[in-house]
Parts: sequence; structure tokens; C-alpha cells
Amino acid sequence: MDNPIKTLQDKNSYLDLRKRERVTLLEILDRALEKGVVISGDIVISVADVDLVYLGLKVLLSSVETMERLRGAPLSGAAEEPT
Amino acid sequence: MKELLYLYCVTKDKPSSYNFEDLGIKIHPVYFQGTYAVVSRVSPDDFSEDSLKKHLADMGWVEKNIRLHEKVIEEIMKDQAVLPFKFGTVFENEANVEKLLKTNNAEFKAVLAGLDGKEEWGLKIYCGSEYFKDALCRGNERITEIDKEITAAGKGKAFFLKKKKDEIIKDIINEKISEYTKDCFKRLKITAVDTKINNMLPKEVTEKKEDMVLNAAFLINKNKVGDFVNLVEELRTKYTDQGFFFDCTGPWPPYNFCK
Repeated sequence: MDNPIKTLQDKNSYLDLRKRERVTLLEILDRALEKGVVISGDIVISVADVDLVYLGLKVLLSSVETMERLRGAPLSGAAEEPT
Repeated sequence: MKELLYLYCVTKDKPSSYNFEDLGIKIHPVYFQGTYAVVSRVSPDDFSEDSLKKHLADMGWVEKNIRLHEKVIEEIMKDQAVLPFKFGTVFENEANVEKLLKTNNAEFKAVLAGLDGKEEWGLKIYCGSEYFKDALCRGNERITEIDKEITAAGKGKAFFLKKKKDEIIKDIINEKISEYTKDCFKRLKITAVDTKINNMLPKEVTEKKEDMVLNAAFLINKNKVGDFVNLVEELRTKYTDQGFFFDCTGPWPPYNFCK
């Protein structure tokens, strides 16, 4: 069996992962829209606005249930923090 | 109409580059006692409260502008630690930006010091549980037992028992997912200074066939990033056959570690 650690010490595969340019929009939204420092600036995006963006992300979102899931009800089983 | 000021991030040192000509953005740092607010002038057509609300429904506008937000911060963080702000943090004037720096001076400095020399990395794990359902349930005591009951039961009772069996299968799958994600998270946590577990995103948004089963962020010392990445690959190899797949991205501005 290949040793994965050894494979990864190969410089190229390491760089591949680091330099991945095409980061999906979702990855950016998941951070820049939801996280980051939140202050009471003169103009800020509200929680309702965030929902609006996620709605725009997917055309077929219509049910309330889906909206609730968007607000983050985790899957059962993997929900509790694995500390 | 008067231009507005868009805030990207706060830093300790003056940003070394101001002109992102290819992005059409010019940075105007605002200074207050050891902290810089990295801001640029933006048009009220884009970022006044009313415009913003309108634009947020337009995915093209959101994508263009949130990518700019990200690019500017990534450029700045090549040289120093950054405190990334949430997308769409806008001020009416410089005095208000300075007031922000003044009010939070000690806290910004402390958080920036804590972030120095560290990177945020993200790991999302997805699981196609359908693929390994049979393997997981084979030889499972609870399944064997209920199968026996089903065989012995009459038609009506068997119907309900089958439903119960489906529930048991769901439980077993969830237990396994939990066990595997915990294993991944625990092992990766050792390489990190700090960690954060975020809400799972639903399939409607991820557009993946598989369920997201872990959405985690790791704050990692730059000299440990190699260890982290190696370990992700090791876990990827270990769990691929279990129907898991890994989406590891970084380095990110520390969006998850700036509180």
C-alpha cells in the first residue's frame, strides 16, 4: 500500500491543495457572508439578507422546511461537537 | 451621491499594496493607534442600504462582489495577519471607521496578535451513506434480530416492523457517520491551535448528491500546515471506501477565528 504521508511530502501534490484557485462560490459564502467580524457598521447585512442570498443560490428553494435547514439544523448523528 | 467606505479587514501594519488595479479597487487605509482599517471607496449605487438589499437578490452581483472582498483580503494577508470583516460592512464616512477602530482598539490588537503566523483551513466531509448501507448493516445484531421478528410476524405486524427496521438502519448509519467524523476531527484537531464546527449546509445549496457530515474550520500554525494537509490525505485514504469524501480548502482569512 502506498504510504499517504510519503505521497504527500511530494511537493507538487502539497502545492496543488494549497493553491487551489477555483474555490467555489459556496466556500466563500459560507465564510465571508456568514462569518467574519460583525459590528454595527453604518450599513450591514442582516440575517434575513443572508437568507436572501442563499435563496438566490438555488432557484428551487420554496419550502419553509428547507429554509430552516439553511439556518443550520445539523444532521442527526454528527451533530454534537466531537471533542 | 456621496461615496461610501467599504471595510475589508483590520490589520496591525499598513498594507504594503494599495492598488488592486486589476480588480479596480484602491485601498485607503484608516489609522488609529496601532490598527489600520483596510477600506475602499464604493458607490452608493452598489452599497447604500437600499441598493444592497436589491443587489443581494442578484447572484451575479453577489458573486462578483464577494469574490472581490475575498481577493483583497487574501492579498493583504500575504504579508500580515488580518481580521476579516463580514461581507457588506459599509461606513458613511472616515470618522465612523475611525470610531470603530477606537472603540475596539484593545480587542482588535489582541485578536490580531493571536492570529499572527496562523492560517485558517476548511474541511467539509460528505458522505454517500447509500453506498455503504449494506456493508454497515451486515452482521449487525439489531438488524439480525428484527429480521427474525419480521419473518415470524404476520403481514400487518411485518409492515410496522419493516418501518422500524428502516429506523434502525438510519440510526446505525448515523452512528457510523458520527464515529468516523469524530475520528477525523479529533485527529486533525491535534495539529490545530483552534477549531470550529459549523452548521452543515443542505444539498440544495451544496448541489452534491452526498450529505455534508462535517463542516469544520481549523486555525493552524503556518509551520504545522504540512502536518495538517498530510493528515487530511491520510484520512481521505482511510475513509474513501466508507463512502466519505473530503473537500479541504485553504489558506483562508480567519473568518472563523476573529471573535
